Amino acid sequence: MRSLAVVDGTVGTAARQARALGGFLREGSSGHGAAETLVLYRDECDVGRLVEQAPTRGVRLVKTAGGRPDAIVGILAALARDEGCRLFIFAGGYSGTESATRLAHRTGGAVVTDALSIEVGSDRLLCRRHVYSKHMVGRFELSASPWCVSIDVSWGDAQTAAALEHVVLSATDETGTAAEVDETRFEDLELTQSTPTGDLAQSRFLVVAGAGAGSREGVERVAAAARRMGADFGVSRPVAMSAWAPVDRLVGVSGTRTAPELCVVVGVSGAPALYWGIEKAGFIAAIDLDERAPIAKSADAVILDDGVMVIEELAKIIASSRE
Amino acid sequence: MSLRRATIVEGLQHILGADSVVTDERILKESSIDRFRMFEDIHGVYTQPIPAAVAMARSTEQVAGVLRFANEHGINVVARTGRTATEGGLETAVPDSVVLDGSGMNQILAIDAYNMQATCQCGVPLQVLEDRVREHGLTTGHSPQSKPLAHMGGLTATRSIGQLSTLYGGIEDMIVGLEAVFPDGTVTRIKNVPRRAVGPDIRHVIIGNEGTLCYITEVTVKLFPYLPENNIFLGYTVDTMKTGFEVLREVMVNGYRPSVARLYDPADGAYHFAHFVPEGLSVLIFVAEGPAGIAKATAEGIEAIVAQHPECRQVESRYISTWFADLNWGPDKIAREREDILQTGNINRTTEVSGDWGCINDIYENALRRIIEEIPDITMAGGHSSHSYINGTNMYFNYFYNVVDCGPEEEVTKYHTPINRIICEETLRYGGAIVHHHGLGKARTPWVRDEYGSSYYILEGLKRAFDPKGIMNKGTIIPA
Amino acid sequence: MNAVRILVCFKVTPDYEALREADWVAGEGGGAHGSGAAGGGTGAASRVETRYVPRILDCFDESALEMALRMREAAAGGTVPVELGAISIGGKEVERHLKTLQALGYERVTRVDTDADLDFAPTVTASIIARYVENTNNTDLLMLGWRSGPHDGGTVPFLVAEELGWPCLTQVTEVVVLSSDRVRVAHVVDDGVLRVTVRLPCVLGVGNAVVARLRVPTLTDRLAQRGAPVERVQGGDLGIDVAAELAREASVLADLEVIRRDRPGVIVGGESPREKAQTLFDSCLKSMIEKL
Repeated sequence: MRSLAVVDGTVGTAARQARALGGFLREGSSGHGAAETLVLYRDECDVGRLVEQAPTRGVRLVKTAGGRPDAIVGILAALARDEGCRLFIFAGGYSGTESATRLAHRTGGAVVTDALSIEVGSDRLLCRRHVYSKHMVGRFELSASPWCVSIDVSWGDAQTAAALEHVVLSATDETGTAAEVDETRFEDLELTQSTPTGDLAQSRFLVVAGAGAGSREGVERVAAAARRMGADFGVSRPVAMSAWAPVDRLVGVSGTRTAPELCVVVGVSGAPALYWGIEKAGFIAAIDLDERAPIAKSADAVILDDGVMVIEELAKIIASSRE
Repeated sequence: MSLRRATIVEGLQHILGADSVVTDERILKESSIDRFRMFEDIHGVYTQPIPAAVAMARSTEQVAGVLRFANEHGINVVARTGRTATEGGLETAVPDSVVLDGSGMNQILAIDAYNMQATCQCGVPLQVLEDRVREHGLTTGHSPQSKPLAHMGGLTATRSIGQLSTLYGGIEDMIVGLEAVFPDGTVTRIKNVPRRAVGPDIRHVIIGNEGTLCYITEVTVKLFPYLPENNIFLGYTVDTMKTGFEVLREVMVNGYRPSVARLYDPADGAYHFAHFVPEGLSVLIFVAEGPAGIAKATAEGIEAIVAQHPECRQVESRYISTWFADLNWGPDKIAREREDILQTGNINRTTEVSGDWGCINDIYENALRRIIEEIPDITMAGGHSSHSYINGTNMYFNYFYNVVDCGPEEEVTKYHTPINRIICEETLRYGGAIVHHHGLGKARTPWVRDEYGSSYYILEGLKRAFDPKGIMNKGTIIPA
Repeated sequence: MNAVRILVCFKVTPDYEALREADWVAGEGGGAHGSGAAGGGTGAASRVETRYVPRILDCFDESALEMALRMREAAAGGTVPVELGAISIGGKEVERHLKTLQALGYERVTRVDTDADLDFAPTVTASIIARYVENTNNTDLLMLGWRSGPHDGGTVPFLVAEELGWPCLTQVTEVVVLSSDRVRVAHVVDDGVLRVTVRLPCVLGVGNAVVARLRVPTLTDRLAQRGAPVERVQGGDLGIDVAAELAREASVLADLEVIRRDRPGVIVGGESPREKAQTLFDSCLKSMIEKL
């Protein structure tokens, strides 16, 4: 059976996609994931580097006109049709979800997004993914193939694997293949580049403020304390939605998933949607007035007190310890 | 900071130590109000005088020290513990007030499972006490919505009541004895006995004083066996509130004591029960509890009474038990409420009153009609009865409005106070009581003289006798 | 000038926060529409019992509903009229929300009437929406939450777009109506925030917009719309056999696992915030921070 991991090399996240796919293929697919990687690239891409990053030894290069995610779906659909490709694995995130979904629709296959792991059977694909707002994990059975899988963004935490000796199996030019969706309907594209999972995702020391910080002023004071102690600063959804902090600071589902070595949470209740964003933390210290909040059971250490006051004291202590 | 404020802070630091006197600007602002002005708070607007300090007392002696100091210098003192007040009782109405916070006095001193009573300091959260006594298979029987947040001192000071009151009573039925400190520093202890006839029951000078006479530092409450396995949840839809009140009355006068006996009108009910109750119907809810035989007999008695009213239709009891399990307000709900208010400008307010069986439906109908007719921007107006007695019941008006065309500081005067006025006027007209269990605070003091009538003489006398310098929570209960 | 006709799709979901910790188990069937999965799912083992908790608007859908109202207000300042429609799939529990939307100024509100459990059936959901849009032929801009419900897969906007042959952007945070056939959209993509002008028609999946809560109509607003009709549509009206489509859903939820998130939760003692902070620092943070 043919199966492919797909790296969209036309966007700035190629290295991250490759690393996440690598982790998933090693640990999330019982060794039955893709044997080859399809790398899409454009003229201006560093092809050598893309090949070097690929998560499998075998690499197939496809040159494309690039553009929006759905532009590449036609190319993949042709592979499914012409070569009997039954499993496509995409990195998580925006374009992975779009590509997997559109591909399944166009080929009559099945899609599953945010995969935590898969098991490949002869006529079924089993896939685990979160459901019920991260309260539960569901096991899905996919019948119709090709199976189009986009993997959970948590695979972005994967370690970079040992270097592989890559073999370029094929190189094709599909720049002539037009996207199904009319590209001329998009005008005046203006990308404000940021790594939405950027500085927070890479953070080693993180402070997260929740609604328990009480007010805009409270949240700003937690942010100031975080700066003072040399930590990155994130917020829970209620804080972002109250416009007490910018949305790009959001930690948790639909925000950033972080994996700091040390995470201090202030006035955060510990609902699954937020906790998912910090669960990879090495150590979680929670400061909260409410000892019954779920965070008290899912943190390593808990201080029961006014979060803003404690974090400011902590900032003083840490700052002076560095002097 | 003026010299006056500095002097106050210095005096407090001398009594409590520097660490226990909070002068953080944000905390002082937030300490100038309670949930009555939450709309201002959410918008970061503070219109009340900012207190000079929050004094964190750790012992009865420290409370006495602070009160003596304040009494000597004529400084207004606002007593607080869990800060869940809703009626302005915690507002610092006078510049340079001292907020005396007893939340640090949080020791459970005794759980006496033989004599069925527990003693704790004022800053013990009710939830903590309840969890501890449940380890002994016991319960306080007290379960207000604020249970996760409210502390025993504040609950006593505001004459609180819980959702299980129809069986266990209000806090006044639970308090056995207590310790309180008066403005001159006198510490008084009322001993714990089953009953006594040694003159007036002076516990009632303290219970419900809302920090206007004394500071409650310790309470002893009754305990009861905790037998949740016997609980029977009953729910019914009913076509009209009038019939609903009639069913409640029959349950009470026939001698049944369910722990929960509630009646929701269609508007209020829709907020909780729309997933199983058709639009336009009211909802009756009962919980029978206690020893298995009593719970069973109570449930059967209620079912027999309801059966006499063919318009009542039973609903699956798991809807009721699930609803009941999510009734309390913790920090999560408070956070979600803030987010909602900030984004939509829509705010929820309540006013709870009581009346006898003969007038409660009139109070309900007239007040609601007037609110809808007279107040702009109402998005929901309804209510429920949640605490019943042999001679009558309460009415908990629950209403939402959009705050439009006015600043955060005008929300109370434009909407909340006019609604309170309507409810108080209608309640007084029919001879009901203008506050059932939140306390008078500052919000409903304009109607306190009418509420008391000739007995206001006693209230004024208490204030004169115990707080002659008027330093205790100015503007609360007794108008400033 | 032609109006921009916006249709917002929304889902009414159980309020998970009203569930107790003990309720998070694979239960006795359920989904939003009562017991048993009507086809598609494999029954009890694959559903959490949520029938007993209140229903709320799914959060991103709620955002979309409010955004559409604000788009009209903003566009009204100019020359572009905006017409608003809303549609939801479900039982009678949906009508309460449709009536609220009418009171808020939505001109067309529609319920696709079905008792089928579509909680884990994005393909069926998408084809119902797409057929409705095709049949009525009066939508220029379709808006919905970029992901919703217990499935939370984020596939429905793309599937609808595929069915209709429309472009689709998700994780949308801002939309401005520029003219009767163009909107300016800000949306989050993998490497940043992309602003783009889109020629209509198109599908927009609303993400973390700052506009998160739907405004509330007054009793007067409701009274004014009391008699306004709610359109009811059956699967058959759209040429869809919902049960048969459900049986064909190619991705089926088989069972559920509970997630454990326990950590030690050691309480750090102390008299004051300062003392507690110092204890925490001395006992754990100091050595960790030194290593960072």
